[in-house]
Amino acid sequence: MQLISFRKSCIFATFLFTFLLFIAIASLFLVPNPKDILESITTAEMIYSIKLSIITSVISTFVVLVFSIPIGYSLSRFSFKGKNVVKSILDLPMAFPELVLGLALLILFGQTYIGKFLEYIGISVVFTKLGIVVAQVFTALPYGIRIIYSTFEEINPRYELVSRLLGYSELETFKNISLPLARNGLFASTIITFARCMGAFGAVLILAGGSYMNTEILPITLYLNISYGNIGMAITSGIVLIIISFLAILIFEKFEGRNSNSSKI
Amino acid sequence: MSFIKIDNLNIRLGNFHLKNCSLTVERGDYLIIIGPTGSGKSILLETIAGFYTPEKGKIFINGIDITNLPPEKRDMSIVYQDYMLFPNMTVFGNIAYGLKKKIKDKEKIKDEVNHIAKVLNIDHLLDRYPNTLSGGEMQRTAIARALVVKPKLLLMDEPFSALDVKTRSKLRSLVKNAIKEYNTTVLQITHDFEDIWSLANKVVVMKNGVMLQKGSLEEIFNKPSPNFVADFVGTNVLDAEIIGKDGDLTVLNVDNLTLYSYELDYNKHCNNGGYNKVKVSIRPENIVIENKNKDIYFKSERNERNERNVFIGKIKKIVNRGYIISLVVNVENIDFNVYITPNNIHSLNLKEGNEIYIIIKPENVRILYNSKNKIKN
Ligand SMILES: Nc1ncnc2c1ncn2[C@@H]1O[C@H](COP(=O)(O)OP(=O)(O)O)[C@@H](O)[C@H]1O
Ligand SMILES: [Mg+2]
Repeated sequence: MQLISFRKSCIFATFLFTFLLFIAIASLFLVPNPKDILESITTAEMIYSIKLSIITSVISTFVVLVFSIPIGYSLSRFSFKGKNVVKSILDLPMAFPELVLGLALLILFGQTYIGKFLEYIGISVVFTKLGIVVAQVFTALPYGIRIIYSTFEEINPRYELVSRLLGYSELETFKNISLPLARNGLFASTIITFARCMGAFGAVLILAGGSYMNTEILPITLYLNISYGNIGMAITSGIVLIIISFLAILIFEKFEGRNSNSSKI
Repeated sequence: MSFIKIDNLNIRLGNFHLKNCSLTVERGDYLIIIGPTGSGKSILLETIAGFYTPEKGKIFINGIDITNLPPEKRDMSIVYQDYMLFPNMTVFGNIAYGLKKKIKDKEKIKDEVNHIAKVLNIDHLLDRYPNTLSGGEMQRTAIARALVVKPKLLLMDEPFSALDVKTRSKLRSLVKNAIKEYNTTVLQITHDFEDIWSLANKVVVMKNGVMLQKGSLEEIFNKPSPNFVADFVGTNVLDAEIIGKDGDLTVLNVDNLTLYSYELDYNKHCNNGGYNKVKVSIRPENIVIENKNKDIYFKSERNERNERNVFIGKIKKIVNRGYIISLVVNVENIDFNVYITPNNIHSLNLKEGNEIYIIIKPENVRILYNSKNKIKN
C-alpha cells in the first residue's frame, strides 16, 4: 500500500509539472491574435533577426564542434598535468549566470591587452556581430564538450589499440575508428549546441549589445520589443524560438532512436 | 638471442604495481599466462602492446629495443575477450582493416581475407555486421583480423572466456590449426586450465603483479613441490585412466576411485583417438559438500537418482581466505581442493577432521588430453 501511494505521488508530480509547462507553452500560441503574428513575422526587423540568429548559430555551432571534439577527446583519453583544474574551469560557464559570463567577456575584449591587440589588428568583438558569435560560443561550449567527452568515455579505448596495432597512427585511428563510433554523440552535441546558441541571451546582450537591426538576434528581439511594449513582436520571436528548439529536439530524438539500435554492440 | 625478450619490466598504475617481470619467447612459442584476476596479466599484455608505458625495464624483438615504439610500429596484434570488432565495418571490413594499411592491391587483400576466413570457418559471414554474429563467430572474426596481418607476436587476453564450453573447445582446435598454418608466436592469457593443456608449450604463473613461476609445460606440471595448480589457481588436476563408457559418460579410474565425466568427444578421443592416460581437472568451486549425518536416507536417495561421483571424505584443512573458505578434503588417497562460501561453512558446521560427502557433477570433471598420453598403436 505504502509503495503504491508513493508511486502515485511521484507520477502525480510528474503530470502536474508537465501540465503547467504545457499550458505555459500553449498560451504563447493561443493568447495572441494570429493576425498580429503574421504581421510581425513579415516585418523587416523579424526577418533580419531570424536570419542573423540562424547564421550566427550555425557559425557558433561549427566553432564549438571544432573545439569540443579535441577537448572532449583529450579529457577522456589522455592524462596530463592540471587536467582536473581544466575540467572544472571548462564547466564553470554552465554554473554561473550568462550575464556574468557576458560581463567577463566584455572586460576581456574591451579592457585587456588581448582585446586591445585584437582591436589593433582590426578584429573588434565588442558590440559587433562577431561579438554575438563569441558570446554564443562561450555559452554553448561547455555543453558541447560535456556531450562529446561522455561519448568518448563510453567508447572502449581498446578499439583504438586494436587499430593502432594493425598499423594505423593515432590520427588515422581517430579518423577511422573513434569518430565513426562517436557518431551519435557528435550528432547530439551538434543539436544541443545549436539550440543553446539560438537561445543565448545574457552574454550576447552584454558583449554584442542589443542594437536594433544590427546585433539583433531572436532573444534580443523578444527583449527589445517587450521593453517597448510591443507584445506581438515579442511573442512572435518567442514562438519562432520555440519552434526552432522543438524541431531540433524532434530531429535529435528521431536520429537517437534510430541509431541507438544499430550501434549498440 | 631470443625472439622476444622482456627485461625487468615495472609498471605502476594507480595502486597497482607490476614488479620485475622478465620473460623470453622464442619464435613459434605458444606462451600462456595464468593467474587469478587482478594479478596484472592484462596490464602486462597491454604494456607489451604499447598501451602503457613502463616505469622501468625494456622490451626487445629480435634484439631491437621497442620499449618506446608506438603500437603501430610493433608488428603485433591483439585479441580481446570481448572481441572489440569495429561495429561500423562488416566481417570482411574488420578482417581486411589491417591488410589495407599494408597492401594496396585489392585482389590480394580479398584473397588473404578469403583464405583466413576459410581456415577459421567464417567464409559464409563476410558480409555480415558484428552485431548479427554469435559469440564464437565474433571471436573467430577477431582472431582472423589479428592473424591475417601475420604479426610477429599475437597477443590474446582471455580469448575464450566469454564463450560456452562447447564453442570454446571447438574454437580452440580451429585456432590451433590457424596458428600453426600462419606460424605465429602467441602470448595468451587465460584462467582456464584446458587452454594450457591443449595449446601452450610455455607457461607463466602470475599473482599480485609478480611472475611466480615460468617454464615449459612439463616443468610446470612436473615440479613436485610448489604445486602451482593448487596454490594459485586451486584447480584439482589428477592423473586418470579412461576405462570405459557408460551412456553419455566417460568412466575414469583415478587412483582406484571411479569418476564419471560428461565428455563430449568420447569417440573422437577415446575410442579411435587412442587416449588412455589423461589428466582430469576439477574446479574447486564445483565440488559440493554435504553433511554426512543426514546419512543413510541421503545416500539412498542419491543412489535412487543414480547420481555419480558421490564420495565420503575427511576434512584435512580449513583455510579462511575471507571471501572464500578453502578446504582440503581427503578421499582415499586423493586430496581435493574445495572452495565454499563463509555462509556455507556456518550452515554445515564444518570442522577439521569431520567426515563429509563430496559430490562432483560429471560435467564438472573435465578431461585434459595431451598427445604425450596417447597410446601408440
Ligand atoms: N588503468 C588502470 N589504473 C589503475 N589501476 C588499474 C588500471 N588497470 C588495471 N588496474 C588494476 O590493476 C590490477 C591488475 O589488473 P589486470 O592486469 O587487469 O588484472 P588481470 O590479471 O585480471 O588481467 C587490478 O587490480 C586493476 O584494478
Ligand atoms: Mg585481465
